[in-house]
Amino acid sequence: MQKMRGVGLMLLIFSLVLPAVAQDAAATEEPFDMATMPGLWETCPTPASLSGDLTIGAIFIQTGNASVYGIPQTQAVELALAEINATGYLGAATLNVLVEDSAGDAEQAIAAMTKLVEEDGVLAVLGPTLSTEAFAADPIAQENGTVVMGVSNTARGITDMGEFVFRNSLPESSVIPGTVAGTTAALGLEAVGVLYGNDDDFTRSGYDVFRTELEANNVAILGEETFARGDTDFSAQLTNLLALEPQALVVSALAAEATQIIVQARDLGYTGPIIGGNGFNSPAIITNAGDAAEGVIVGAAWNAASADPYSLAWIEKYTEAYGSPPDQFATQAYTGAWLLATAIRCADSTDKTAIRDALAGISEFPSPLGLFAFDENRDPVHEPVVQIVQAGVFAVLETGE
Amino acid sequence: METVIAGFSALLDALIQVLRPLGISEPVFQFMLVSAILGLSIYLTLITGMFSLANAGFMAIGAYTGVILTQEAGWSLAGSLVGGMLAAGLVALPVGLPVLRLRDIYLAIATIGFGEIVRIVALNFDDTVSSLLTSLNGERTAFELLNGARGIIGIPRLTQTWMLVFFLIVIIGLILRLHRSRLGRAMVAIRQDEKAAASMGINVVYVKNVVFILSAMLAGAAGVFNGHLTRIVTPTAFDFGRTVDILAFAVLGGTSTVAGPVVGGMALAALPEVLRFLDEFRGVFNGLVLLLVIVFLPGGLVNPAGWRRAWQRVRARIRPASETAAD
Repeated sequence: MQKMRGVGLMLLIFSLVLPAVAQDAAATEEPFDMATMPGLWETCPTPASLSGDLTIGAIFIQTGNASVYGIPQTQAVELALAEINATGYLGAATLNVLVEDSAGDAEQAIAAMTKLVEEDGVLAVLGPTLSTEAFAADPIAQENGTVVMGVSNTARGITDMGEFVFRNSLPESSVIPGTVAGTTAALGLEAVGVLYGNDDDFTRSGYDVFRTELEANNVAILGEETFARGDTDFSAQLTNLLALEPQALVVSALAAEATQIIVQARDLGYTGPIIGGNGFNSPAIITNAGDAAEGVIVGAAWNAASADPYSLAWIEKYTEAYGSPPDQFATQAYTGAWLLATAIRCADSTDKTAIRDALAGISEFPSPLGLFAFDENRDPVHEPVVQIVQAGVFAVLETGE
Repeated sequence: METVIAGFSALLDALIQVLRPLGISEPVFQFMLVSAILGLSIYLTLITGMFSLANAGFMAIGAYTGVILTQEAGWSLAGSLVGGMLAAGLVALPVGLPVLRLRDIYLAIATIGFGEIVRIVALNFDDTVSSLLTSLNGERTAFELLNGARGIIGIPRLTQTWMLVFFLIVIIGLILRLHRSRLGRAMVAIRQDEKAAASMGINVVYVKNVVFILSAMLAGAAGVFNGHLTRIVTPTAFDFGRTVDILAFAVLGGTSTVAGPVVGGMALAALPEVLRFLDEFRGVFNGLVLLLVIVFLPGGLVNPAGWRRAWQRVRARIRPASETAAD
């Protein structure tokens, strides 16, 4: 009996350990497809003077409501670093990341940034997740002379904080003009109804840009309605707007509210297009809203249905590692980690000012977001996309331009 | 004066160097001091027997007023501190008169409502003023002061550690003085029995309102300091969650002495940073610490009688049963 138990225990241990070993072997043996690997392999030579462990920091939300954004960001950065180290992108040096939680709180973001730049002395920082956290924490990095790159900050004025503050997330002011112009041309819009969240900086900024762009395209706004974050019943606002018989509904909302708005608008018998911004760009919208999502038009920084080889390769790698396809936040964080590694490679130095200068000079960087560059204000430059939900998937909207 | 401040700052720097290995850097220490001020703000109303939860609302009023005074009007931090405190106190007067007639849970609900009103006014202030101006002028007029949900950004970091320590020491001194004064005795009498206090000739309405205004002014001061530390003031920073945090400062520290809310505020502000090494489990441990204190030290951290009782219980467990029986 004793022996039997011993054998059983051995079997149990083997069954737990063996798959892990097998998986590790698979991960290291698998050759990387270098044709679809981001990075400036040709422009900058492999760094000769770097060696040992290099550390960057990341401030992403790990706990609390907004961790739905922070956790994919963390996973994406870890995946990027594994690739950077396995492919020898930084020569003899290994790049590590210290991830700090900010819990969506400005005060904790300040504490995390102080720890990373003053105590850990990291070479550069990715994050923080929210724009409100960035406004509180980024000045600390700026004063310290350390690069900080927002990978999900879309508010106005982020990069005005100083020359060490970058972002690779397209602000609503870059995404929405194309969306409005494209849909106006494709659908011949003349009059729309607008619904937006007025207690959130992201949805509010989105509304401001929508309004300016609608006016610029001579589209009349028949009516405007507002809601608050966390609302679940939008039927009063939708009934008011639909009574005005708009050709389209323009909605500035985050994914949680967006799903409810789409479903409830369809329940009220509305069949026309619903136009949204970056907040709508989540596969969850389609899975949660189901058939109601048909005809939803989304302007976004990244299109999951893009035929770009870098984008396709990225989706495959992320899905294999984490079991679900990446969203826009993960894609931007992955690109951000590669951008920082590229700045370190091109600077061939651990001097923070040299890294900043190299980062500012990056252009024609092939990434899942498309060909990427920074403009003179350290804001991102790449093509936004206009997508429409057709047969349960995002497809590129033919704008006829 | 300047050499005194320099010496004082050097002393505080040395203290922070000692705390650094614990994960408490200078910004964390500053937020601990702001939390201590907030703890004292709710302490004043609690020792008068008022369960008021309006502190986050008054903090918002202080923060917005203070930041507008330094940014738009060019005032110094000292001037805007006075301005922020006065603004919070002035709002507290008309709010307190009707609301303080309520007691217990009804007062709590009414003051929570006040906090939400402040937050929603801050969200919609610019839009409302613009639409008023638009209808008056007949053309679209934009008005920007509080910036709605985006908040006021780019605020310089004017608050320094010595200011917070100095302010806290002065306030603790004043509160200790208050305890021995006529008003302080009246506050205790009202907490113990409002009707008995009234029949002894204490003007209950007056005392309650004065305490409510003082509490609002302290919360306003904390708001001014906090706005000039975080460099951004948004309505979401003063939501219901903030109110619960402030209440937790007083519950964790205890309200039997003035040291209670100060220790409670500082401990709760430091805890997430001290526990940073636990990564995603730190929220769990943070809650666990709160739970253990509430279960085993019902009077809070600063409560000698509570510690004595807890110690006796531990001693009774350690000793064999026979010895305990012999006691």
